[in-house]
Amino acid sequence: MRIEYRKQDYLATCKGLLIVLFGLFALSGCEKRDSGDGTVVNGIILPTDVVLNLFCENVGVNDEQCVLSDPENPFAIVATLEFDVNNPNAPTKFDLLADIPQGPTGAKARFYLWATALARRPSGENQWYTARALHELFDANSNPISKDEIVRAQALKAYRSVLDNFFGSVTFFEFGPNSLNEQVARDLFITEETGYERLVPLPVLNVIELFAEWGYRYDEENDLVFIINF
Amino acid sequence: MQLFDFHQEFKLNNRVFVMAGLSFFKSIKQVCGLFAVTLAFMTVFAGQAHAADTVTTFKDESGWKLQVNGEDFYVKGVVWGYSPRNKNYSYNLWGESDDFIRKVLDYEFGLMKDAGVNAIRSFTTIPPEWVTYIYREHGIMSVINPLMGRYGYTIGGKWVPFTDYSDPLTRATLLADMLKIVDQYKNTPGVLMFAFGNESNYGLSWSSFEIENLPEGEQNTAKARYLYSLFNEVMAEGKKIAPNHPFSIVNGDIQYIDLIAELCTDMDVLGVNAYRGPSFTGLWRDVDEKLDLPIVFYEFGSDAFNARSFEEDQVSQAHLLKDQWLEMYNKAAGNDEEGNSIGGFVFEWRDEWWKYLQIENLDIQDTNASWSNEAYQFDWAEGKNNMNEEWFGITALGTPNEDGVYTARPRMAYDVLSEIWHLDPYANKKAAFNKAINELNMDYYALKGEVRFLKSENKEQKQKFSFTGGSLIGEMVVKGSDQDITELGENGLEFEDGQMVFLDFGFKPNESIEGQMTVNILGNVADKEPLEIAYGRRGLPVDVLIERPPLPEEEAFTEEDDIITDVASFTDRERVEVYDFQATYIGEKFDLEAFYHTPRYHWKDEGDFFGLIRETTDLGGQDIWNAKAPSGVELAGKGKWKGLKILVGPEVYWGANPKAVLKYEFNWGKTQFAFMHAEDIARRTDSSSSTAATERQTRQTTLYAMRDFPNDIKLELGGIIASDEKVDDPFTRIDADGNIILDEIEFKDTLGFRAKLTFPLLGTTSYVATNQAGLVADGGAVRRDFGVLDPTALPYSALGNKREYEAGMMMNFGNFMLYPRLMYRDNLVDANPSIPPTIGPGGVVQPGISPRDRDSDPFAVLDNREARSAEVFLTYDPTGASFFYAWDNDFAEDAEFAFNIGGNYTEYPTFTDANQFFFTPTGENASFGVGLPAEDVWSISSRMVFNPTTRAKYIANLKTGFQQSTGDPDGGTRKFYELSGKVVLGNKHIIEGYFKKDAWGPYDFNRQFNEVFPEQFKLDYSIVLDGSGDQVVETVGSGTRVGIRTLYRSFNQENEGQYQDGLNDYIFQTVFYFTYMF
Repeated sequence: MRIEYRKQDYLATCKGLLIVLFGLFALSGCEKRDSGDGTVVNGIILPTDVVLNLFCENVGVNDEQCVLSDPENPFAIVATLEFDVNNPNAPTKFDLLADIPQGPTGAKARFYLWATALARRPSGENQWYTARALHELFDANSNPISKDEIVRAQALKAYRSVLDNFFGSVTFFEFGPNSLNEQVARDLFITEETGYERLVPLPVLNVIELFAEWGYRYDEENDLVFIINF
Repeated sequence: MQLFDFHQEFKLNNRVFVMAGLSFFKSIKQVCGLFAVTLAFMTVFAGQAHAADTVTTFKDESGWKLQVNGEDFYVKGVVWGYSPRNKNYSYNLWGESDDFIRKVLDYEFGLMKDAGVNAIRSFTTIPPEWVTYIYREHGIMSVINPLMGRYGYTIGGKWVPFTDYSDPLTRATLLADMLKIVDQYKNTPGVLMFAFGNESNYGLSWSSFEIENLPEGEQNTAKARYLYSLFNEVMAEGKKIAPNHPFSIVNGDIQYIDLIAELCTDMDVLGVNAYRGPSFTGLWRDVDEKLDLPIVFYEFGSDAFNARSFEEDQVSQAHLLKDQWLEMYNKAAGNDEEGNSIGGFVFEWRDEWWKYLQIENLDIQDTNASWSNEAYQFDWAEGKNNMNEEWFGITALGTPNEDGVYTARPRMAYDVLSEIWHLDPYANKKAAFNKAINELNMDYYALKGEVRFLKSENKEQKQKFSFTGGSLIGEMVVKGSDQDITELGENGLEFEDGQMVFLDFGFKPNESIEGQMTVNILGNVADKEPLEIAYGRRGLPVDVLIERPPLPEEEAFTEEDDIITDVASFTDRERVEVYDFQATYIGEKFDLEAFYHTPRYHWKDEGDFFGLIRETTDLGGQDIWNAKAPSGVELAGKGKWKGLKILVGPEVYWGANPKAVLKYEFNWGKTQFAFMHAEDIARRTDSSSSTAATERQTRQTTLYAMRDFPNDIKLELGGIIASDEKVDDPFTRIDADGNIILDEIEFKDTLGFRAKLTFPLLGTTSYVATNQAGLVADGGAVRRDFGVLDPTALPYSALGNKREYEAGMMMNFGNFMLYPRLMYRDNLVDANPSIPPTIGPGGVVQPGISPRDRDSDPFAVLDNREARSAEVFLTYDPTGASFFYAWDNDFAEDAEFAFNIGGNYTEYPTFTDANQFFFTPTGENASFGVGLPAEDVWSISSRMVFNPTTRAKYIANLKTGFQQSTGDPDGGTRKFYELSGKVVLGNKHIIEGYFKKDAWGPYDFNRQFNEVFPEQFKLDYSIVLDGSGDQVVETVGSGTRVGIRTLYRSFNQENEGQYQDGLNDYIFQTVFYFTYMF
């Protein structure tokens, strides 16, 4: 009988202990954040170099999100605001774009800006600007002796994503209404608009072949892109 | 054996008769009917004018007898109640028309009379007039048996579910009320005797109103002493009022017989509910030795379902009843045995389909055995239940006859007992009735019962797959707008028509599996939008743009390779769909249920303290979006697996991600524990309505502990670990100095704790509660005290990131209840303001900060925002049994007048993060971008129910408030007024409608997008063409009926797209509709 009583006491103690421990354990999550938590990020310095380390294989290509985790990305925690029809005068991502230094020192920052915007909101506009930024980086890394083949391949992936994922998309900003599939074709076929180094070397036949491989045809005369139905 | 009867509270007036009489005088067409009914009433009242019978107990050397007017009367009784399919304890036959009541009684008691029944016991209090009617017309007497608080009672204006017989006020109330009943019936012809309670001694041990195993021993002697002493007070005083009737109690077996002998000295007859199997064993001797009183069984018998072979078992039931009656006859006076048997009431006359679960499966005869009794050896097995509560009838519950009366299909026991009851145990010698009963041809009666069973099976078409009914719905719509009518005159009106059919099917391939499904077929679909969004819109025409080459006749006008853009209209989309489906498998070790768009309830009564499984009962609300929740499969363990539940499905409640849930409940000592884990298997890809945002895939684990302490103190504790997949997810916040902080989710942010202590305080029922939750420790829906009709506007939230404290005090003053409640909530991390990012000189990004949302960020401050909220509601409800906040109160409330009124004031001192909505074109959530501002909001509401007669009901709801949107802040906080109501007259005419001023539109998205209208109006009148009027009150849209409905909505500048700069002030539509149920 005594053993039985002791057993019951033990069980009761265990139960009480379990509940108290569980309660304390659960309560431990309910503290306010204090000054020791987190990191102050009032200012982030933009990268000025032109060396792009790909954080993952498809960074900058829809629907890869890894750029948001890239420690080099200065915009990872920065709002890349889209145009709001209800508040047309509010700041947008284009205001940030305007403040990034022109020329090669801003190319890498521009890539991160648009790749971040693309990861947050898949759109033809964000994809094309990402491709264009990669193209700019390729140009910045190119000289008569060497070219950055990794960035070249990434830029082509980004351009192709515009055609594959956002074929009918347009952008209204900077250019006015502009069909992006034709803009991709001009960037690859013509390049005079930007003056960037060609991603696909001449002759033009190389670009035609690449387009065909992707499943598209460019009518340069009429500035139209067609999908090839195999 | 068990009853849960909210209509036990006795009504002392004759309302039914008075109003029924008035209605007759109003109807000239029914002069003949009036004449006939008047005659019947004259007969009844003439009967009442006579002195009631004198009923006495009598003892000589041969034993005890009951005598009516000096004649020996051996009780050959049944326990009787009229419970149609699809109804439960709340069904009140006495609220029906006199004509219908008479049809029911004539049918039921005609069958009983044929069998030789001479008395009944009923759980419902039969009005005196009908007691006399039954006696005069069918010669059957009634036991008046108030339950005396067995299943709760209104004490001091407050409904007390478990009666405390030691409480002085309770004792005084019960004594006074019981004596009123005795006084009411003392001179009523047809009254056999008075009995009080129903196994009230078991109620001292059981924890609920569901049947449990019979208590062993006498563990509650102290409580029992109060119970039996009160019984005796009632009987002693009652006998002074009604000296011509015996008084008794309804005891569970002979538990506490010594106490009964000591305390119930004024009792005339010992009433016992006995479930001892084929023999009552030593009961006769024990009572003879300890009490020396006659015994009447108020319940005994056997169920007719074999839990072992899992099928109806008429034969075992009949054999068992035969043995019991033979023993009773032998124990009657004059047979040289104890001589203390004076008869009994077989439990029961007819099956009741509501007994298991009580509010579910009311149209299905459940085969679940809910308790175990070894004395019933024909289907008993070690460790398993064998008593099937819904199968105790000596007749089975059939289908309605041409009068709408649910028929009784006699079982074998009916025929056997009929033979026995036609024997008189006093007139026949012992050897003679023993011979007669022993020589009954049981094989013949078995065959007879089997034939009846097969015929009824055929009649009800209970084949493997059968068509069970359905409905046909048709409507004609005329609609228009101010602009169209102004510009086009009558040509501006639009006309639409629609038809649809629901076809119901049932299937039962074997005794273990059964189910049902409904198919919906569309004809035309009337476009009633935007005023009404209705089920069937899946079939509305859809226009799509297509590109095609020119047709031959167009080639002359086109160039080579030209592509023509055209509009194609799809008008025959999705004409047929499965509307709902349910199938159940009842097994020995587990039950399995597959469900698709059938109602399901929350699990909060079974340990889901954090509300992980939400209730999905608003199927009408889903139908307008063609949502098909809930859908999934549930496995519930039995036997040694009892307490285990596994739930898996694509949408186990409305809005859920595909999910698997495991729950295990167990008791440890006096503490109840429940462990739950819910794991999202994927993220849903579309909205559960039109614009409700989807939720990220997540998981939650909870542990719950609950214990009841003496003096009505209850403690509940719970812990949660939620969303641990978000650990290390970054988020930004702003500190008090304006610094932007990059932070990340830690494990501690997934933890939460909740506690609630309920306790009595100064005569009130009070509670204090707290909910402490880490940043991502999201729970589920918080349970409101009174369920869906709870008027509370306290800002409950399922989300984490909070320190929440709540308190309430329920105060009762007679029929009034005052219920103030308070809530205080703080956030661990506040919402983010909107500070745009900038890039300064030198290429330094000031990152800015923006309101979070629940997709881009691991958490967001939304309805879990800081709050200080207070509210109070006053409720007046003189009939506590029909609880004012019960979900079915609209039709169950039986008080002449009941109401509530109250209000809430909530201070939101901080703004929120950004809400989201589902954007169909992209198939994903979109953010409103900005949060709701800080605001103080309030609301005042009242609900009133009037029942001036049993045939008329008026319900009014009033509400005004100053409230915020649930999504878009644009437009600001709104002040609005709403009035809605329903009138039901004679269960036939139904009028309902609303008027709203400056209120949101009727659908969730209207408030989500902060869309209000200056005026909204709806009026609907319908007339019910079949006998389903009482159901129509319960469920709008049911019943065969025709009706007309008008809706109106006005616009102002704020309704930009619709107002058309003043050209379009309003839109309206009128719908003529009919529904035919078959």
